[in-house]
Amino acid sequence: MDMNYLYEELDQLQKNQSVIFDFIQDTALGGLWYWDLHNPENRWVSPSFWRTIGYDPNALLNEAEHWQSAVNGEDLAALNAQVRGCVASQTRRCEQIVRCTHQRGTTVWLLCHSLLMQDDAGQPYRVLGVFTDFTRQRNEEVYAQELASHYGSILSNQSVYIIKTDAQGNYTYVNDFFYERFGYDSKIIGTSSLQSIVQEDWPKCLGVVGRCFAEPEVPHQVILRKPYRDGTVKSNHWEFKGLLNGEGQVGEILCVGYDVTLLVENLENSQKLLALTKQQNHRLQNFAYIISHNIRSHSANLTSLVKLMQLSTNQEQSAMFLQMLKTSTDKLAETIVNLNEIVTANSNANQPKESRKLRQEVDKTLEALNVLIHESSIAVTIDIPAEVTVNVVPAYLDSILLNLISNAIKYRSTSAHPTIALSCYQEAEFIVLAIKDNGLGIDLNRHRTKLFGMYKTFHSNEDARGVGLFITKNQVEAMNGKIDVESELGTGSTFKVYFNESV
Amino acid sequence: MKVFDLVYVIEDDPITSIITELVVKQNAAFGEVQKYMNGQEAYDALVALQWAEEVPDLILLDLNMPVMDGWEFLDAFSALQLPKQVCVYVLTSSIHPEDMEKSRMYKEVKGYFTKPLDGDVLNQMVQLATGGRA
Repeated sequence: MDMNYLYEELDQLQKNQSVIFDFIQDTALGGLWYWDLHNPENRWVSPSFWRTIGYDPNALLNEAEHWQSAVNGEDLAALNAQVRGCVASQTRRCEQIVRCTHQRGTTVWLLCHSLLMQDDAGQPYRVLGVFTDFTRQRNEEVYAQELASHYGSILSNQSVYIIKTDAQGNYTYVNDFFYERFGYDSKIIGTSSLQSIVQEDWPKCLGVVGRCFAEPEVPHQVILRKPYRDGTVKSNHWEFKGLLNGEGQVGEILCVGYDVTLLVENLENSQKLLALTKQQNHRLQNFAYIISHNIRSHSANLTSLVKLMQLSTNQEQSAMFLQMLKTSTDKLAETIVNLNEIVTANSNANQPKESRKLRQEVDKTLEALNVLIHESSIAVTIDIPAEVTVNVVPAYLDSILLNLISNAIKYRSTSAHPTIALSCYQEAEFIVLAIKDNGLGIDLNRHRTKLFGMYKTFHSNEDARGVGLFITKNQVEAMNGKIDVESELGTGSTFKVYFNESV
Repeated sequence: MKVFDLVYVIEDDPITSIITELVVKQNAAFGEVQKYMNGQEAYDALVALQWAEEVPDLILLDLNMPVMDGWEFLDAFSALQLPKQVCVYVLTSSIHPEDMEKSRMYKEVKGYFTKPLDGDVLNQMVQLATGGRA
């Protein structure tokens, strides 16, 4: 209220000093029109109006002509119609957009507030038009709209998935491509995005979302699997980004993704192949060293013996060397036979498998070993149901049974009454055959890693070749199975053969 | 002049063992040879020793043997308190790099030799032990 004196003073000033009025209309407004309602062609247009639309008011030679070309005729007609409406309805104010053409040819958007002035009789006779230039705001708005529709069409037509979720992970936007590929419709908006992902990948997805909250406005990558419309599962590479809302909180998560199923599959295949190749390479390399070792140990003897024989002058000694030479060549021949057997077991990995009754095969092997079992008075018990079958390469099964059962006989107990117990059970996809003896046993702490290695023998048994368990392991693995052992020195051993029944 | 008065040959193959003994005996730098069928036998013999002069000067050690193999022997041997330093050479048919690498991990192992053993190899063994002075 205290300030009212200033308003009155200003009011007074602008009445007496034209500088105030000039200042307002020059600086604050886009222009002024003032015209005679009875003769609308009689008008006064402020210089600022001309400046607003790019003309120098002092250089205007033919104002009427410029007026014609600068002011949009339709808008002018509309303005006039509005003013007439005001007269009819006895209102004093109205507003109307009036487009003008800038001297450069661009459109200038002006908002015209009109005020009807009344004569002494209260009849409207003049109109004052006050113009505000809103071209910049207008252009920005148009640009923003164009941009939005432009990006809208990009979002819809890309072959990438673009989705947005709220902070709870519910879909708020999904592009057409996503709908199309995954067979969804707009009903999914508002539902949980996590539910559509393969459950195994949930922790991965939640992990990335967590990172989006911790580090917003920065992309975070992840590969997630999702069922495709035809039921196949597709791998998609996603870039998640936490978008901040007005309060500086993550309000939405923008996810842009594309299909990498083929890439992932190729990568997995390559990795599998690489692992297999590595494993094979390692095995081959070891095998080469083993062959080299075994052949060298005999060839070295042969070389030395020949030298010794050449130097020998003693008939008796020469005869001994000859005998040793014979033994060495026999051993070399045996080594080569063994190696041949191992190579055969290794190279025939793709032999056809057949179904065999386990009990029947065990009985057959025991029958073949009957004399040995009888001589050593071993008590054999069999707990294998007659109907249990295993999917095997028949020759491998024969070899495995023969080797493991003869080992049990060979390393039988010398102190207690020797026993061998054969049983079987199911474990996951495997049928497990257990061969348990109460024999010498093996110190697994010392020998576990080399038990199934080649030419490893653990007892000073003369006919131990050191290839049996190596071949057995190779044969079991060639049938996608595995072999395991439990043993204690002096108490006995249990060998377990896992026959893989899933493939 | 003998460099190694007493030599242990630890070797499971009887023929190789005899050959080693015969070849070693042809070289004047090597003295008496005692043969052991595996690491355990040699270890038991070492444990039973009472006099420093009974301790071997050289052990020729095979790696792949039943009962106690070369590595296990080295583990047991390195824990022994012997009155005399013993030179251990690995004598094997293995040219596997892993075996060579592993043998280097034992400070007791002074050399790695592959079979066949002959006069040249024996001379190398002497050279290595004497630093070229013999």
